[in-house]
Amino acid sequence: MLKGVLEGCVLEIISRKETYGYEITRRLNTLGFTDIVDGTVYTILVRLEKNKLVDIEKKPSDMGPPRKFYTLNNAGREELSRFWAKWEFVSSKINELKEKK
Amino acid sequence: MDFWEKVTGSDMTKKLRSFEARTKKLPADYQAAWEKITANLWQYSDFTGRNLMPILDGVLGLLEETAADGQSVQEVLGDDIKGFCSALVGEEGAKSFRDKWRKQLNNNIAKKLGK
Amino acid sequence: MRIQNIIEGKKEWRAHMARVKALPQDYRIVYKEIQKYFFKVGPVELTEGTGLLSGIIDLFEEGAALGKGVLEVTGSDVAAFCDDLIKDSKTYADIYQESVNQEVNKAIKKVTDKKK
Repeated sequence: MLKGVLEGCVLEIISRKETYGYEITRRLNTLGFTDIVDGTVYTILVRLEKNKLVDIEKKPSDMGPPRKFYTLNNAGREELSRFWAKWEFVSSKINELKEKK
Repeated sequence: MDFWEKVTGSDMTKKLRSFEARTKKLPADYQAAWEKITANLWQYSDFTGRNLMPILDGVLGLLEETAADGQSVQEVLGDDIKGFCSALVGEEGAKSFRDKWRKQLNNNIAKKLGK
Repeated sequence: MRIQNIIEGKKEWRAHMARVKALPQDYRIVYKEIQKYFFKVGPVELTEGTGLLSGIIDLFEEGAALGKGVLEVTGSDVAAFCDDLIKDSKTYADIYQESVNQEVNKAIKKVTDKKK
């Protein structure tokens, strides 16, 4: 379940602005997900690419090799809204569970 | 590949020849291991052996890479060649072999990184 | 692209290995172990040329440029990282098993057809 949540987070981060793998990891780390490593984000990005949810542009970087930059395409935005709908449902049910004594 | 090649299996002959040429470039202990592996794998073959080709291709790639790396063949394949082969084709015991490969991967890395 | 083609001294493979060589030692060690693992498991991407291996090099080159250690990038469980990468893909073993099942089904069908 956590993997799916993480994928949703990555989609959300990409939806804000064009970004690249290492920046996404940094964002998640500062958010408090400290045990997430670049490799984890990488596997998610590979999956997003395979499922054609993102557009990719390779750009030169001032440090190291060219970077792949990601933006959401239409399918990606649809997937993201599906994720949030699912999230609302799950979290409301969990809260319900917690409050019903 | 034309129809005739497919029917007569002569495309397979070509492939087997190229395997043979590649094997000859391997060190002796690797060649011996390859013999054992193919002998073990043929029992899984269909009539022509066509279904085994990608698997053989992968194994040969593994042998070529590790030989170039200077590793001993035993280090790569372990002692149980028979088990290794049935894992390659996904037969019984494949799951535990995959677990073994997984552990091997992490152990090798820990050892080589000196941690 | 077939493994055979890549390895038999073809240009792509040489260029690929040149990139591996240029990696810092710890990255190179981990990369080689990953490659060996994939050769054993046999995900179909290896021959489809979708850049399973070169994608890892991209990731490693950037990690190295940022001055990170390799395990900081992959996490300490490298096998989990690998399995995650090929989670949705078929392996040669899967394809082999499918072909065997087809044969069995065909044989069964033959027998049942005869009975009709």
